Amino acid sequence: MMTPAVIARVMLIAFGAFLVAVPWLIPVILNKFWVSVIAEIMIWSLFAASVNLLFGYIGLLSFGQALYFGFGMYGVAIGVATLGLSFWPAFGLGIVASIAIALVSGIFAVRLTWHYFAIITVVFSLIFYFFAVSVKPLTGGDDGINFALPPTFSIGGVTGSFSDANFQYFFILATVALCFFLMHRVIRSPLGKAFVAIRDNDVRAALIGLNVYQLRLIAFVMAGFLAGVAGALFAFFGRYASASYMFYHVSGEAVVWAIVGGAGTLFGPVVGTTLFIVIREIVSTHWEHHAFIVGAVAILVVIFAPKGLVGLWNAELARWSERTNDASVKTKLRTEP
Amino acid sequence: MTEAVLRTENLTKRFGGLTAVDNLSLNLPGRRLHAIIGPNGAGKTTFFNLVSGLLAADSGRVFFQGRDITGLKPHEVSRLGIKRTMQIKSVFPQLSVAENLWVTRHATKRVLHPFRAASSDLETRERVEHTLEQIGLTALAQRPAGTLSYGDVALLEIGMAVISEPRLLLLDEPTCGMSPAETERAVAKIKQLARTIDIVIIEHDMSVVFEIADDITVMAQGGILASGNPDEISGDERVREAYLGRPEDEDYVEEAIHA
Ligand SMILES: Nc1ncnc2c1ncn2[C@@H]1O[C@H](COP(=O)(O)OP(=O)(O)OP(=O)(O)O)[C@@H](O)[C@H]1O
Ligand SMILES: [Mg+2]
Repeated sequence: MMTPAVIARVMLIAFGAFLVAVPWLIPVILNKFWVSVIAEIMIWSLFAASVNLLFGYIGLLSFGQALYFGFGMYGVAIGVATLGLSFWPAFGLGIVASIAIALVSGIFAVRLTWHYFAIITVVFSLIFYFFAVSVKPLTGGDDGINFALPPTFSIGGVTGSFSDANFQYFFILATVALCFFLMHRVIRSPLGKAFVAIRDNDVRAALIGLNVYQLRLIAFVMAGFLAGVAGALFAFFGRYASASYMFYHVSGEAVVWAIVGGAGTLFGPVVGTTLFIVIREIVSTHWEHHAFIVGAVAILVVIFAPKGLVGLWNAELARWSERTNDASVKTKLRTEP
Repeated sequence: MTEAVLRTENLTKRFGGLTAVDNLSLNLPGRRLHAIIGPNGAGKTTFFNLVSGLLAADSGRVFFQGRDITGLKPHEVSRLGIKRTMQIKSVFPQLSVAENLWVTRHATKRVLHPFRAASSDLETRERVEHTLEQIGLTALAQRPAGTLSYGDVALLEIGMAVISEPRLLLLDEPTCGMSPAETERAVAKIKQLARTIDIVIIEHDMSVVFEIADDITVMAQGGILASGNPDEISGDERVREAYLGRPEDEDYVEEAIHA
């Protein structure tokens, strides 16, 4: 029986199989360049997921997630280039740095909601953007920090290095998949249900006994973690960190990706990010004003699919399964004597 | 007389120049069903907002079972066991009816598990099913609450209050917007609840008030106009005067008296 749940599972398995096959499949049907585009899409999808956790699940629209992405990046870059750390400690430093700054700014930001919240998140990211640009000895300012390939590292006897393109791809895939799995678990847990309740009606949520402030802060730190992991991966991927990734237009892009893909759905950010990065890669080589297409697509989706592409897909699937159910009920009735 | 379940001392709330609750000192003894009535704008809902922590009082204190709860946050008040329904019905519109009950039941737990699947909690699931039966919404369990009729939302709100096992229940016009059949169901439910839970109900429907209340407090302009049992209230001249501006309520009082 093809229920929506079965269809979703089949699609997930097919999608997973495709991602695993990418390093061999894509060079054959396209070229090697697209393997690294797909790796980049995965990283940015994780970043968009951090916007989604806040906006789609607890109802806070952050225009400042680039700040935590930037801290993840700089944690790695400063760790490797300045402190001489090896791979895992540098990775850990990036994640801890982004969690810490998310906690500190979240303590202030989640006191506010709606546009006040959006504004304060922008303000925080601007403050740190200008700070990063100005403390040149630490951050490299506008030029950023380039660092040599991270030292080789080993996981359980297997040694690997980001200089091996396949290794790099699978490391990114595994890390992003793990983060999405964690998010999936959180969404279905009592904690995740409490998030959604707060998104739906925060006054009622408080009246049933939920500590709205504390739960918003938890979600904010979790989102900071997701953005931080994405930033740390991106630093290893590009072998550099730069303040320009902390600028708020980076945050804004992730908001568009998450909303167009479908806020409040686990895979919405993946769909939105993929769509826009593919558009960018294809169109920008031919036409410098590719932002027009991005804008047009975003506007069309918001008008015709207010719940995003994944939301639209889910709704169609539900309608289809309802119709086939009705049909099977009718056939049953007809066969009755 | 048993210890007061809810007591206020000189409670005052102003909105600009308007004093919505004016030096209100109330003493509601436990194990009785209290009704608060009064004309529009008397300050009844504001009183509930002060007790439940949605608004901060300008002065005065609130005691719940002898404990000073003045200035506590809404979730802190809720966790002491004081639950309320809203005059303007308030549920989680995008969650299903069952999920509304589920999340309400879980909200009072100290720790919300971040990774275990919510659906694996069988104890809560049984409670939800039981409550759905009690309020007669089993057939609508999977519908998003935002798509329910007004009366069904009101029933759901009562269900949410019930499933959280309150010690004190504040109901703000629970039957408003219900059909006669729904009102009957809700009134029966409230009467049954009142056997085990302390209840304060704000209600405009006088037939409901005189049917279920043990004690009635009449509010007007933020203060207490009169209080007593239903017989005393229906015979009170000042109460009848306060309602003179509202003929429809006058009729209810008449009906209730002659019933
Ligand atoms: N948040 C607020 N800001 C300003 N004024 C308010 C606010 N809440 C209530 N008021 C005013 O306070 C007064 C008391 O309002 P309240 O809602 O407590 O009355 P009520 O007795 O519940 O009336 P009703 O029977 O119409 O529900 C009214 O004049 C109202 O306009
Ligand atoms: Mg009111």
